[in-house]
Order: sequence, then structure tokens, then C-alpha cells
Amino acid sequence: MQKEKQALPPGDFAIWIIVYIELITFALLFLGYAFSRRLDVALFNKSQLLLDQRFGFANTLLLITSSFFVVKALEAIKNIEKKRAAKIASHWLLAAMSLGSLFLVNKIIEFSDKVDQGINLSTNTFFMFYILLTAFHFMHVILGLVILFTIRQKTKDGGYSAHDYRGMETGAIYWHLVDLLWIVLFPLIYIIR
Amino acid sequence: MFKIWVVLVFLSMFAFFTGYLREVSALLVGILLISTFIKGYLVIEYFMGLKNITFKYRIIPTLWLLSVLSAIAIAYYLPKN
Repeated sequence: MQKEKQALPPGDFAIWIIVYIELITFALLFLGYAFSRRLDVALFNKSQLLLDQRFGFANTLLLITSSFFVVKALEAIKNIEKKRAAKIASHWLLAAMSLGSLFLVNKIIEFSDKVDQGINLSTNTFFMFYILLTAFHFMHVILGLVILFTIRQKTKDGGYSAHDYRGMETGAIYWHLVDLLWIVLFPLIYIIR
Repeated sequence: MFKIWVVLVFLSMFAFFTGYLREVSALLVGILLISTFIKGYLVIEYFMGLKNITFKYRIIPTLWLLSVLSAIAIAYYLPKN
């Protein structure tokens, strides 16, 4: 039997308004990068080779896995008996937050490396976009971690159940958005030339 | 969901190893953009949970992803005057 489609997306609808705004903002930045590159392809290719793609790859794995852990936390709340679910879900959320924090550490190391090389916003157009895009995304990761921390606290206090998990869904949507944006950012900035 | 995560990791590894090529050919750029679309689509459908939602809400992020990647493809493929 085919499952009936839900009328509204998961979580509070307000989070989807935020998601749409973020998607438009990042789309403009991604396209700004791609079309600016056309003006000086050689400079972009040369500058891109100065990036260490291992940082980008490691961060991709961290965010994808962290996003997966948040899915597992939500699954636990939806499918397991309340008392046990709270414990299991809060463990998944802690794991997700740990990976998110590692993302930040990794990014700080990468930024420091670039600063040591004398690279800043004024170095050239490529690095202007590189710093702008990744630093802007970095701020979203910080906000995402604050949200995960908040929903974990509520999870630990037994604030979610199989009948009431909308708040957790709302926070999860934001974290998946952060993941989705990085999925486009990683090949664009680090790989494609 | 574990299978989705495995596919996401596999496609990310493909992108990572492609990045070691000094020049990424036009064909590879296309393949990378398609693999990025697949990754984004999987996150939207399975992680964000839009798979079982009515079409009008389900299509918005996917349309965004398709539009952005298509515009990036145009920026990379369009010949310069």
C-alpha cells in the first residue's frame, strides 16, 4: 500500500522560510564565484591549487556523518519507547555535535594555515570568495551546533516523544541545510577547475 | 538510511580523488556536478525527510539544487567571447 503524502514539510514551517532564504543567499554567492571565475580562469585555477583539499574532504565526511547521526537521533525518538529513546537520541546528538565541532577545529586549522601564507580577503578574487563562502558557512555551523545543543538538552530532559518531536525535527532541518550547502561548496571551491 | 550515508561517502571520495588531477576535464566537471546533484538530492529527500511530502514543498530545494548546479555548469562550459 502506498504511503499517503504529508501536506506540510517536517518541523515548524518557519524553519523552511529560513531554509529558502539561506538557499537563495548561498545560490547568489555560488553563482558569484562561478561567473567571476570566467573573468580570470587561470588565476582561479592557480589559486585553487594552493588549497589543501584534504581539509575540504575531511569536513565533507564530518558533516555528512553528523547529519546521519541527527537522522538516527530523530529515528530513535520516533520509534523507541520514551525513556530509552531520550538516552539513545541524546547519545546520537552528542556524536553529531562532536563531529560538528571537529569541523570547526579543522576549518580553524585551515584558516590559520592560509593566514600564515599571507592570504587574506584582498589577496585576489578567488581567495575573496573562498574566505567569504567558507567563513559564512562556518558561522552557520556554529549556529547549527547551538541548535543541536539546545535540542539535546531538551531530549535529555525527556522533552520529546514519539508523539511530540516537532522541535527536534526543526533543529534537524537546519543542520541538514548546513550539510547540503557544504555538499555544493566542497566541489565548487576545492575540486572543479 | 545507512545505505544513503554510504552512497554520500562514496560520492565524496570520488570528488576528492578527482581533485588530485591538475586539470579537471569538461567531462569530469559534468560528472562531478551530477554526483553533487545526487548527493544533495539524497540529503533533501532522506535526511531532510521530504520524500513523503506533497510535491509543491518537495520540489523547492531540489529545484534550487538543479538551478544552482545548472548555472554553475553554464559558467564553466559557456565559451568566452
